[in-house]
Amino acid sequence: MSIALTEIRRSPLRFGLLTAAVGLLLALVLFLATVGGALLSRITGALERQSAPVLVFAVEARRNVQASLIAPGVAERVAAVPGVAAVAPWVTRGFTLRTGAGLRDGTLIGYEPGGPGAPTDIVEGRLPRMNGEAVLSALDAEAGFEVGSTVRVLPGGSPLEIVGLAEGASFAVQPTLFTPYEGFTAIARRAFPDAGPVLPSVLAVAPAPGEDPVALARRITEAVPGVEALDRQTAVASVPGTDAIRSSLGLLLGLAFVVVVVVIGFFFLIFAVQKADVFTLLLAMGTPARSLVGGLALQVVLVVGVGSLLATGLLAALATTGDRAFPISVDPGLALGTGATAVALSLLAALGAVRRIVRIDPAAAVRGGGGELA
Amino acid sequence: MPALMMDEVRKVYGSGEQAVVALDGVSLEVGDDELLALVGPSGSGKTTLLSIAGGLLRPTDGAVQVGPHRIESYGPRELTRFRRTAVGFVFQGVNLVPFLTARENLLVAAEIAGVERRRARARAEQLLGELGLAGKEDRLPARLSGGERQRVAIGRALMNEPALVLFDEPTSSLDSRLGAQVMELIRAEVKGRGTAAVVVTHDLPMTRYADRVVEIHDGRLVT
Amino acid sequence: MRPARIGATEVLRRPGRFAITAAVLALLVALQVVLWGLLDGLTGSTTGAYRALGADLLVYGPASRAALLRSQVSPELRARVEAADGVAAVGGLGVTLTWGRTDGAPVPTDLAVFGYERSTGRLPAPPPPGDGLADRSLSQEGVAIGDVLAVGPQGVPIRVSGWVQDASYLGQPGLWVAPATWRRVLATAAPDRVLPEGTWQALVVDAEGDAAAVAARIARATGAEALPLDEAISRLPGVEAQRASFLQLIGATTLVAGLVVALFFALITLERVRLFGVLKAVGVSSAQLLGALALQALTVTGAAYAVGVAAAVALARVAPEEVPIRLTGGRVLWVAPVLVGTALLGLATSLRRVVRIDPATAVVGR
Repeated sequence: MSIALTEIRRSPLRFGLLTAAVGLLLALVLFLATVGGALLSRITGALERQSAPVLVFAVEARRNVQASLIAPGVAERVAAVPGVAAVAPWVTRGFTLRTGAGLRDGTLIGYEPGGPGAPTDIVEGRLPRMNGEAVLSALDAEAGFEVGSTVRVLPGGSPLEIVGLAEGASFAVQPTLFTPYEGFTAIARRAFPDAGPVLPSVLAVAPAPGEDPVALARRITEAVPGVEALDRQTAVASVPGTDAIRSSLGLLLGLAFVVVVVVIGFFFLIFAVQKADVFTLLLAMGTPARSLVGGLALQVVLVVGVGSLLATGLLAALATTGDRAFPISVDPGLALGTGATAVALSLLAALGAVRRIVRIDPAAAVRGGGGELA
Repeated sequence: MPALMMDEVRKVYGSGEQAVVALDGVSLEVGDDELLALVGPSGSGKTTLLSIAGGLLRPTDGAVQVGPHRIESYGPRELTRFRRTAVGFVFQGVNLVPFLTARENLLVAAEIAGVERRRARARAEQLLGELGLAGKEDRLPARLSGGERQRVAIGRALMNEPALVLFDEPTSSLDSRLGAQVMELIRAEVKGRGTAAVVVTHDLPMTRYADRVVEIHDGRLVT
Repeated sequence: MRPARIGATEVLRRPGRFAITAAVLALLVALQVVLWGLLDGLTGSTTGAYRALGADLLVYGPASRAALLRSQVSPELRARVEAADGVAAVGGLGVTLTWGRTDGAPVPTDLAVFGYERSTGRLPAPPPPGDGLADRSLSQEGVAIGDVLAVGPQGVPIRVSGWVQDASYLGQPGLWVAPATWRRVLATAAPDRVLPEGTWQALVVDAEGDAAAVAARIARATGAEALPLDEAISRLPGVEAQRASFLQLIGATTLVAGLVVALFFALITLERVRLFGVLKAVGVSSAQLLGALALQALTVTGAAYAVGVAAAVALARVAPEEVPIRLTGGRVLWVAPVLVGTALLGLATSLRRVVRIDPATAVVGR
């Protein structure tokens, strides 16, 4: 074992470079996982961080909020289902926003103040009290587009004053404004003066005390024709496109892990080949093969372990200096899990090197030569 | 013209306080069908002398002539060309390419020297036959005995009909009976072809096959 | 036996030594080809409708940020666009994202219902009211010519009267209908986005001369957003983001491939230092050795390429229908030079070591 450690001390450059490479690759893994999580929350945040535990969709929309339209009369039928405490319309549409910082794509969400469906995590300012007021997804606030500023909704040019910021309340990766439902319909009318009535996208439902949201959702779906009710968690998981992102991210992470494993595997294999003479000598001197293998495992664990720490440090540095538009934070669980997985996979990858060591014939130390040539 | 002529050859490894003098003013001539045995203890400079004669190392000082080649002034590219055609080398560890058959190991030498394929093949067949390897041309080295491998290595060295063949401990890994056989073979090949040969050996009984024996000690020849 | 043939012989006689690397490379090739296929498939199903339009320019309403669904072009604005210098022909365009189902179909299918006024690109003239030209991908969902689709929440009936190739929008199959039919769909599927008669979401414009210059003139003269078709396509939601993230993925796999080749050749060079020493001792030059190594690298990558492409094609065959992989010969071929270049770059990392091998090692040992 001490030979393995001495070797690391004597070849700081070689081990340092490997550790740095592993650290960078693991930092990439951590960064991807963290950014992926942040991206997913920006797609679905508004659904996740609103107060209604149950959401009711038009069945034909197949769980897509943006495709769903609730026909008149459905809200009353949902309200009549046993276990429903309150029902409120919830609507979302895309508009252009003229802000103090320039034109922005934006999502407007109309909800019933005091009813289910309100944003839950206000981090600055307050909830809207009247039409013409809105809270903005906190991540998207910037100079000229913050609490106290007034934006214009295009087309139509209706004004909206931002009175608060809601944490994690983005939708469709756009700046998102929650505004009272009645005000929303006025804005929509002004944008499309010849249009018909504004129909809710979904219905936000508050269950009666003690009511299980999943069971209530099932009851609503059974009782009211033409709708599908979902508990919040299922609704969030069903947002179109998130599956594709999750699987692409999975692919990327898998790929990054493959790189780590291949790099480590090849490195230690090259090492084993380079040191074949030393290993042969040690075996001839009576060192058991298992202690050589143990030394190798120790080196792998050290390299990947220190690499993981390095990666976590890098991510932490990125988190403090990073882009305000896409803030990230270090999740210790994720860092630990990634490190442990990397160590386990790297030990597997080092099996090639182990095979080399185990197959060395100590008698070769006496005969000399051998190796590649006949 | 002698096959090999060395004049006041010096070889120093390293520099300053760490300098080691491997050859110290060696002068030597080997006639064009002479079989010379070079003997001496370990570290005496035998292998260095052989490497310089074979164009693998350059002398620090002195002149080396192999046939018409004054190789002490050759650059790496000229030395490579020289090794291809003018000398044959049989290494101590035999050093056959393990994934090539006996015949292919011989063809390597001929084809890199630019010998036309059909001629090279004919020459390889002939040599393998002469070396007693007929029927084993398509065997990989792993399926040949130690003596057979040694003979393939000799065949490879002779492929391009060099004026000088250098043998580095050709019998060191063989038992005395096989060693004697190989030395007989070397002698027969050298004499039969009019080729000069230098054989480095530890094995004193083997020197009886040589025309002349030269001893080397601490980088100097003691005749 | 020339050195190049020695290299080739080694690959043939000791395939095991090269197999792992070839397998890893083949996987990476398959991954790259599938990624290109996915990117082309995704981009294709997002942008098909715009490409089918084949016009020079698209003109959106002011401040619409090139989004059809919130853009409005009034008759007055249209008149000004028509009057702009370099405008040859103008037609209205509108889309509604909704769904439709044929009689008896268990689940509805997503649709992008386009209303349009005139034939451009691959689109024939609008069908009569009540009829629709459907994206051919709908035929895979069991829709046939003559079928009637009930479209949107109110089930507006539209008879499929023909096919249009590759004409979907944001991943939803396009259904191309006459203006009046589209307005009926719009009124029921997006009642709060209904536009007055004569107002369109965008205009499809044929330009005389340079499209970008005409677009700039239209924007200056009318305040509308005018974009050449290519730019309009790249501004479709997700197109740029998709391209960027897929290119990153593809770049990462290329990097990995290079790394694998580099490490592999570093390893086998190291293993063969003595062999190379002997070959050099018998007169093989460094250049010949490197040539042989390059040939080995090419053989390994060539085999990996063939296996990888075959694997990707097989994967594309068995992939579920909703995975939009589109493999084209051009893309598949494009992977080859990138892979070969990467392999040679990877090999180059062993160059110095090979050149520095001393032929004297054949005599004096390691």
